[in-house]
Amino acid sequence: MARSLKKGPYIDFRLERKVQVMEESNKKSVVKTWSRRSMISPDFVGHTFAVHNGNKFIPVYVTENMVGHKLGEFAPTRNFRGHVAKKDKGKR
Amino acid sequence: MTLDESYELGYVVKTHGLKGQVVAEFDVDDVEEYLDVEEVFVERPVGSGKLYRFAVERLSQQAGTRVLLKLKGVDRIEDAELLRGLKLFRPLDELPELEDDQFYFHDVVGFTVVDANLGKLGTVEAFYELPEQDLLAMRYQGQEVLIPVVDELVQHADEDSKELYVTLPEGLLEVYLSPPSRERDEPDEFDEA
Repeated sequence: MARSLKKGPYIDFRLERKVQVMEESNKKSVVKTWSRRSMISPDFVGHTFAVHNGNKFIPVYVTENMVGHKLGEFAPTRNFRGHVAKKDKGKR
Repeated sequence: MTLDESYELGYVVKTHGLKGQVVAEFDVDDVEEYLDVEEVFVERPVGSGKLYRFAVERLSQQAGTRVLLKLKGVDRIEDAELLRGLKLFRPLDELPELEDDQFYFHDVVGFTVVDANLGKLGTVEAFYELPEQDLLAMRYQGQEVLIPVVDELVQHADEDSKELYVTLPEGLLEVYLSPPSRERDEPDEFDEA
């Protein structure tokens, strides 16, 4: 079920505050965050976020077409390397 | 032609129908630029470095970067099955020309990364292709530093000096050089009070 419109989008308040401070001081430094569930607001455009994927930080440069998505969508947690066929299948 | 003189165009995903057609996934930005290719090369057996030439009989675009491919001499599903999963190669000198500020990822591996403010940093090790944004992996002070490949951060490559010019956002290097600490970077709201 989608989130209630009454509540508005969820954005981690610490993250939002950091972006607001940077906007006011016109700085664009990288913001480290573990909050993958935070929605990307229009204020985030042009900023770079280091989003944790459970192992390391993935830098995400926010562009306009990312607004409305969650930060975690851009930092994959799994690395698919394809399926390797077993060559000696059935041999002993 | 050897593997060093070729680039990877994509790979054969599966067979299609009974008359030797295959579905291939092209690892390119714009498939339409490659719809008129007349030949592709396949490494067989895998790992041998030997490339076999196949003339392209028909090539049509499917959804996204998938194409339907009919190779000359492959007329039965049994022949097509042998190609499943194999990589497709093309000669390097037939790569489309790029504009001045563009570069191919494989060309800049090993280049020195030069930041507009910090100067020379490290060398390009690899590229990771993610769904939304590609990432450049650079080795810096023994750590792997990832840089989003976007026009705002990665400017251009100089082939003569083997340098890649970037403008890193403030604090990106520190993200990888300092050990992560969630408590320090994101203190709990009750701790602050």
